[in-house]
Amino acid sequence: MSKPTDLVLGTLDLLLLKILALEPLHGWAIGLRLRSLSGDVLQVSEGSLYSALHKLEQEGWIRAEWKQTENNRRAKFYALTRPGRKQLESEAANWQRLSAAISHVVQLSEA
Amino acid sequence: MRIENWWYTAPLRLRSLFRRRRVERELEEELQFHLEHKIAEGLADGLSPREARHRAMRAMGGLEQRKEEMRDARRISWLTDFVADVGYALRSLRRTPGVTALVVVTLALGIGMTVTPFSMIDALIFRPFPVPSPEEVVTLVGTSRDGAYEPFSYREYRDIHDHTKSYAGVIANSPLRSVGFAAEPGTTPKVQGGMLVSGNYFSVLGVVPQVGRGFRADEDEVPGRDAVVVLGPDFWRRELASDPSIVGRRIRLNGSEFTVVGVAPESFQGLYIFSRPDVYVPLAMAGVFSTDPRKSFFEDRDDRELSVKARLRSTASLAAARSELAALAEDFARAYPALNRERGATVRTAFEMRTRPDQVEWKFGIIFAVLALAVLLVACTNVAGLLLARARSRAREVAVRLSLGAGRFRLVRLLLTESLVLAGLGGLGGIAIGWAAIEVLRDFSIPTELPVQVPFRLDGRMLLVALALAVLSAVVCGLAPALQTTRPDLVTGLKAADVELPGRKRLWGRNALVVAQVATSLMLLTAAYLMARSFRASVDVGVEFAHRPVLLMRLDPRLAQYDAARTARFYELLVDRARQLPGVAGAALTKSPPLGLDRFDALAFVPEGYPLPPDRDSFTAAMDTIDEGFFDTLGIPIVSGRGFLAADTAESPRVAIVNEAFARRYWPDGDAVGRRLRLDGAGGPPAEVVGVARTVKYRETTDRETEFVYLPLAQRPTARMLLLLRTSGDPLQWVEPAREIVRALEPNLPMLETRTYEDLYRYHVVEGPGVAIRLVFTMGAVGVMLAIGGLYGLVAYNVSRRTREIGIRMAIGAGPSAVLRLVMAGGLALVAIGTAIGLVMGFAVERLMNAAVFHAGGVDVVAYLVVVPTMALVTVLAAYVPARRATRIAPTLALRCE
Repeated sequence: MSKPTDLVLGTLDLLLLKILALEPLHGWAIGLRLRSLSGDVLQVSEGSLYSALHKLEQEGWIRAEWKQTENNRRAKFYALTRPGRKQLESEAANWQRLSAAISHVVQLSEA
Repeated sequence: MRIENWWYTAPLRLRSLFRRRRVERELEEELQFHLEHKIAEGLADGLSPREARHRAMRAMGGLEQRKEEMRDARRISWLTDFVADVGYALRSLRRTPGVTALVVVTLALGIGMTVTPFSMIDALIFRPFPVPSPEEVVTLVGTSRDGAYEPFSYREYRDIHDHTKSYAGVIANSPLRSVGFAAEPGTTPKVQGGMLVSGNYFSVLGVVPQVGRGFRADEDEVPGRDAVVVLGPDFWRRELASDPSIVGRRIRLNGSEFTVVGVAPESFQGLYIFSRPDVYVPLAMAGVFSTDPRKSFFEDRDDRELSVKARLRSTASLAAARSELAALAEDFARAYPALNRERGATVRTAFEMRTRPDQVEWKFGIIFAVLALAVLLVACTNVAGLLLARARSRAREVAVRLSLGAGRFRLVRLLLTESLVLAGLGGLGGIAIGWAAIEVLRDFSIPTELPVQVPFRLDGRMLLVALALAVLSAVVCGLAPALQTTRPDLVTGLKAADVELPGRKRLWGRNALVVAQVATSLMLLTAAYLMARSFRASVDVGVEFAHRPVLLMRLDPRLAQYDAARTARFYELLVDRARQLPGVAGAALTKSPPLGLDRFDALAFVPEGYPLPPDRDSFTAAMDTIDEGFFDTLGIPIVSGRGFLAADTAESPRVAIVNEAFARRYWPDGDAVGRRLRLDGAGGPPAEVVGVARTVKYRETTDRETEFVYLPLAQRPTARMLLLLRTSGDPLQWVEPAREIVRALEPNLPMLETRTYEDLYRYHVVEGPGVAIRLVFTMGAVGVMLAIGGLYGLVAYNVSRRTREIGIRMAIGAGPSAVLRLVMAGGLALVAIGTAIGLVMGFAVERLMNAAVFHAGGVDVVAYLVVVPTMALVTVLAAYVPARRATRIAPTLALRCE
């Protein structure tokens, strides 16, 4: 079982937005997709996942819709909104900057 | 919430609020869906259904907690919680109806008493002009050397209008106090109030008439050409039965025909607080309403009767407008130095105009509001005390909640919601009380010839104030109990319902409440007593003339188109004939009698032999124009010299009479009689002082000694005068005979105002101050009642808390008097401290009131000798009653009770 701290603090929102940018998904599938896309490195607890989803929805970045799944169950699918896409862009850019900076520092050869 | 995403978020919020069940169900369904997949995953991993389910549930970390998190994410939980809290508060309050009723009534009294003075302040200071964008409307005033504000003349207004750039429009108006109105020619005119206004008045103010139109600019260009009138809404309803086809009809004003062009809307009752114009007439028609022969309204730059207002451009700053006008005033002074000596001009906002230091009404309003807030404070402290006692009995409940994991903040919020509900109910009651009080105030009549509008009312703004006060009192009286109750340590809290909280610290709050109550109500009572006493003292001297049986009748021959010569002749005949009436002991004329309702004219003068300060060339004093019968008729003694004589005519040397205060100030070392006085400024004609009259009360009975000058009518012709008749019985019996005389002299002359001096006196002494005294006294009385309740509650509470201790004391031999002493000592100490603080506050209030209103100095020792013992006696009684109960405690019972 994973804890929220398994993720770099504050990156969950970014990951969720990115996953939903690919296609609308329901909560369970988002969890699976996160795990598979990250090669089983990243996991998120159910609690954090749904809290984060609801928070993103309240911010207006994603939109929820009840739809049928492939095996004909009703499920709540989340999709990215236009402001969500903008948010994703800015957060992704931010992340690029940050991670590049961190890598740069970490990779300094020790003298 | 990001505002810019509202398109997506607003429906969500609304759904959360109004489709709560549905949202809950969906949340449930979503998590259930996840749970099922999780279980299926477990099964796929080869777990038994039971194990799979357990693992899934564990992973979900308790469904309920998750749901709560998501509800929080919806961010309306505070609102749903609040609704739940209100429901809970209502249920819990219903369980203790007695305390609830007491609290609600207390708060209602406090809030009701505060709303009333706030409505006064609102009307006198804050209520905006009833026009669109009222904040743009500023007042332009001339300033004199002593800082007084002065109006402008017509020529000055035209210059300001043409040469300023800061305004979208400059308007002028001048109140007409008596307009003779007749719907048809030939009927006796009725007196109405009117307003001379510039042609752009309605358009600049943005006031759109409800019928017809406002004035056109060209209707105010040629003096006397366009006889048009816009009616006030009240007048239209009252006199013309709201006739919708009134436009185009002709009505007679002061004997001239005017064509009605429009009716002002209901929302616009003029720019003045106390009066509502009946008719609006263009400035160009001023000739019909003012035929003062000495002045020419359209030409004389010093015939200053116009109040000038302007609408500031949105691009112009007030500072720029001020310097622009100041520069213009300097131009005036350069071009006409004689007419503008030491005169400047400035721009004032409505707020600045209404809070001028020389206005008394708003100061009264502020004093009342401060006193009322004190009452509200007492009420709040009392309620806090009651809630504190109530909270104690709930200590157990709160302790249970805390131990079950309720957050302290959440509990404080719950308890605060309770006091908010209480305050809300109290606020409703307060609005009812305030409404009743304001109705009483509105009934209060001011004796003028025209109906005076008492502008206090309970409108939306006042409801807002009441609401704010309610919320404020909820926080003030609810916070301390809420914080204190949620603090007890859990173990003791759970053990017994009524916990003995350790230490004296806990009681500190309640003691402070009682001290505050005693102090505040003592201050209020002192204030009420002082006001009553000062008013009573103020009517002891200098008002004797007002007790004489005197009839007053106001006349203005200009209303019958008389010129100066005919006016003088008319008054001569009038007084002559009035003197012949049987039962009339004296008849006289005055322009503005002492304690009358008119403002006194201001006289600029230079006293002979008195050094002028280098920076000024004249002094000013209030003055009256009178005839030779004045002093006899009113019985005001001439202390030296003589009164005016019939021989003081327009051709004879100029004479004047001053009062004692004047003589003492300017000629302190000798007799004033025979000294000379230049009138109307340094360049004016000299007049000889021929007599000194006793100083009386002029404006209010609470006046300080006012310097006053009398000038003879013959040497200062005036059209609008009051006829005074001293009669040998009830003056009203001479109204008809006096009317007969006037009618015989001029049938077309309306009688403006007929009343007795006793009326005026009653207005100045009984009604105006009476209302004020009653108001403050009621506040004081309510304060004392509340303080008694508070003190009684505290002592009774202490007695019940110490029942066991008292039982033990009595069991081992303490007598009733010892117990009484023990219990009362605490209460009396509080009374003593409260009294000391109250004395200091009372002293401060006394200083304030004396400075602002009564113009008296020093400390009134008697006030404290009366108020303090009364207060002490009452509070001792409040402590005695419950203490007495303590002495009756049976020791055996007391020991068993815990």
